Amino acid sequence: MRSLNTGKENTWCVGCGNFGIMAAMKKAVSAMVESGVSLSDIAITCGIGCHGKMFDYLSISGIYGLHGRALATAQGVKLANPELKLISFGGDGDSLGEGLEHTMFAAKRNIDVTLILHNNGNYGLTTGQASPLSYTGYKGLSTPMGNVEAPFNPVTLMMEAGASFIARTYSAKIDHLSSLIQQAVFHKGFSFIEVLQPCVSYNNTYELYNSRCVMMDEVPATDEVARVLAKDTDQIRLGIFKQVIGTEYCEAMGIQDNPMSRSQRLKLISGS
Amino acid sequence: MASEVYSVLIGGKAGEGVKKAAHLIAHIAMACGKHVFQEDDYQSLIKGGHNFSIVSISDEILYNSYKYPDLIISFDDRSIRTHSAKLKPGGLHFCNGDDAASAEATALRLPLSSLMKSVYGEEGNVSLAAVSVFCAQWGIPVETLGRLIDREYRRNQAENRSFAEQVYQLTKEILPHTPATHQMSTSPAKLYSGNQLIASGAWTAGLDLYFSYPMTPASSILHYLALKRDSHKVYAIHVESELAAANMAIGALFAGKKAAVGSSGGGFALMQEAFSLAGMVEAPLLCFLSSRPGPATGVSTYTAQEDLFFALNQGHGEFPRIVASPDSFERAFTLSAELLDLAWEAQTPAILLTEKHLSESAADIVLSDVDFPQEAPLPISDESDYKRYAITDSGISPLKFPGHAHSGDDDVIKWNSHEHGENGVRIDNAPAMIAMKDKRNRKAASIRQATRRYKRVAHYGKGDTLVFAYGSTALELREALKYHSFKLIVPIYLEPFPSEELAEYRGKEAIIVEHSSHPHFAEFLRIKLDIRSKADILRYDGRTWDSMELAKLIREAENA
Repeated sequence: MRSLNTGKENTWCVGCGNFGIMAAMKKAVSAMVESGVSLSDIAITCGIGCHGKMFDYLSISGIYGLHGRALATAQGVKLANPELKLISFGGDGDSLGEGLEHTMFAAKRNIDVTLILHNNGNYGLTTGQASPLSYTGYKGLSTPMGNVEAPFNPVTLMMEAGASFIARTYSAKIDHLSSLIQQAVFHKGFSFIEVLQPCVSYNNTYELYNSRCVMMDEVPATDEVARVLAKDTDQIRLGIFKQVIGTEYCEAMGIQDNPMSRSQRLKLISGS
Repeated sequence: MASEVYSVLIGGKAGEGVKKAAHLIAHIAMACGKHVFQEDDYQSLIKGGHNFSIVSISDEILYNSYKYPDLIISFDDRSIRTHSAKLKPGGLHFCNGDDAASAEATALRLPLSSLMKSVYGEEGNVSLAAVSVFCAQWGIPVETLGRLIDREYRRNQAENRSFAEQVYQLTKEILPHTPATHQMSTSPAKLYSGNQLIASGAWTAGLDLYFSYPMTPASSILHYLALKRDSHKVYAIHVESELAAANMAIGALFAGKKAAVGSSGGGFALMQEAFSLAGMVEAPLLCFLSSRPGPATGVSTYTAQEDLFFALNQGHGEFPRIVASPDSFERAFTLSAELLDLAWEAQTPAILLTEKHLSESAADIVLSDVDFPQEAPLPISDESDYKRYAITDSGISPLKFPGHAHSGDDDVIKWNSHEHGENGVRIDNAPAMIAMKDKRNRKAASIRQATRRYKRVAHYGKGDTLVFAYGSTALELREALKYHSFKLIVPIYLEPFPSEELAEYRGKEAIIVEHSSHPHFAEFLRIKLDIRSKADILRYDGRTWDSMELAKLIREAENA
């Protein structure tokens, strides 16, 4: 397989969790290609933020979209060519702030797209402001007295919205993330992976995650159990919270190519 | 002089089927070999209020509806109060005698409420009454009326027939003169709204996907295409917001499918950033912008041309774009296709700017008679070492699409919202920035050249007086040409503006007609052609002109 590097200079901070996510992505793509997936059938989209820089580093086709819109863009690609495997990357500001509606609706539609959420608990690229996933009391430039809002729980949010594959891991667990990406991509329907990602500059959570992350042995039997586990902050559960088969959006819409020529179309439309 | 025009006005509450009755009346007139123009005046509500529709009928092609009817059918007292004074001398006003406190002695009363109660027992279908009155007055046999009603109204068919036939007989009994006679024949014409033609034109040119969030008066494009999903393999997707619509469409374009979005001004305000993205990633995004009075939510169901500069300036930052506005129903069909082709040829966004008046009014059209644009060649790359944004003289970089059917594993196709180098990877160094901006800017000349193969300016009528208008205002003016001579000049393409084709008018004096409170189009013509405004005829109450009155306004402006 050809190299997945563009050669673009990397400007993530030393120790950034994004390195782990990119390593896992490359590993997953290599494994998928080995299993027979054509590299030209994989496309990526991303929003704007530290996570988005991955687009410039990875030599894979796709769209470096607008802030918040990566998942809308990915869904458009998928609807246009349901054979493509779409992997969308989003930061917490992208996927749960500016673009929350698209995340909720992609899950609601159960469209066959994978969203990888880079949860670093802050807005890294714009110098550490509070994000929709920042803890109460988080102090950043926009919340100097401490964040007064409570964070979303991405896993339970996605469960409510209708995602059919929901998982969580930690950016240091490269093999686990690589495996989850492959399972998510091959899952028919909307798949969501929350990646806990330390931000060494503004929200260094290595110690927290290293001490509290616990791998689940199996997918919880019910949504109720999964919710309780997903909300536990003493033991931060990693693994798959939900994995079910539902009706996929492109299939439900019956998306097909229309090979009709212009003259054939003209005939049909003018009723002649 | 215009040939005779017969106009029917139907007035009632929302939910009473006013539009549907008008639609059927238009169909019946068309089946009698007539030309029609239907205009619906309605409010943004589902039940109650007051709606009315006008169907004008003539042996000659009609470009507008006539606001002074020959026949009024009022379902309630409010309609009587609103429209009585507009009845033409010698015209007939039929009203619901059970709700006719304001009716003058000359109004013809039909006991519609009590008749419905006896036939249906409960709430009946009053819209049938309008169709029945029209058929009785127009000399359409009662059997034909029955067949039409069976076909068009699927619920309560026995009751419908009974009610319609009784109204028909009662109408004949109280008609002050013998009914007209009209022979029904088969006609190749169909009744199309502007929005149906916009949708049909884009589909015929290859549209695969339409992404939209409902907003009047653009919504019926979404509705029409959604109905065609299985028969036409076109996917109209009602998404969560306009932001989703525009960004999804750009995703679909990346994958090589023809996609469009549509909304009114408010929805376009929400799509600004994505429109700018289309400029940056060089996405051939086709947009339908159907205007209503603004600002903000404005007046949802009426017409306006306040968005001229808004359409011309969509999106932040600099990038080439195409903006054009159809001046007729047929043009809505062909222009939609031209803009789809141009967008793809130049890989830049294109806007079809229209207004409620064209979007939602309807006329009889024979689509097979319309000269449809030939397919334009697509710049597709088959080279290895593909570069999405290859620097070229024309500014146009060849396309390649993802997926094993279109590209190989070594092809990397990157569309980037950041400024980028030829390979689509982000850059910020000065020479590369300049090179890429210059590349995109060079497309403007390519676009101008490409638009030359299409009709960019329409001319109608003749005379010493020059009148400029664009969009559906041209419809009102073409009908006015039947009553007064002037030279009507209608630029169809607004960006790139065909200045060279209009050079003969440079510095001339003209009357400019538009639906806005500020003379935006006059200002635009002054900038582009140094046109000096002799008079600005402005209308900004959301309504359209009666063309006879518009002809009078032009005459007055000439003499001012």
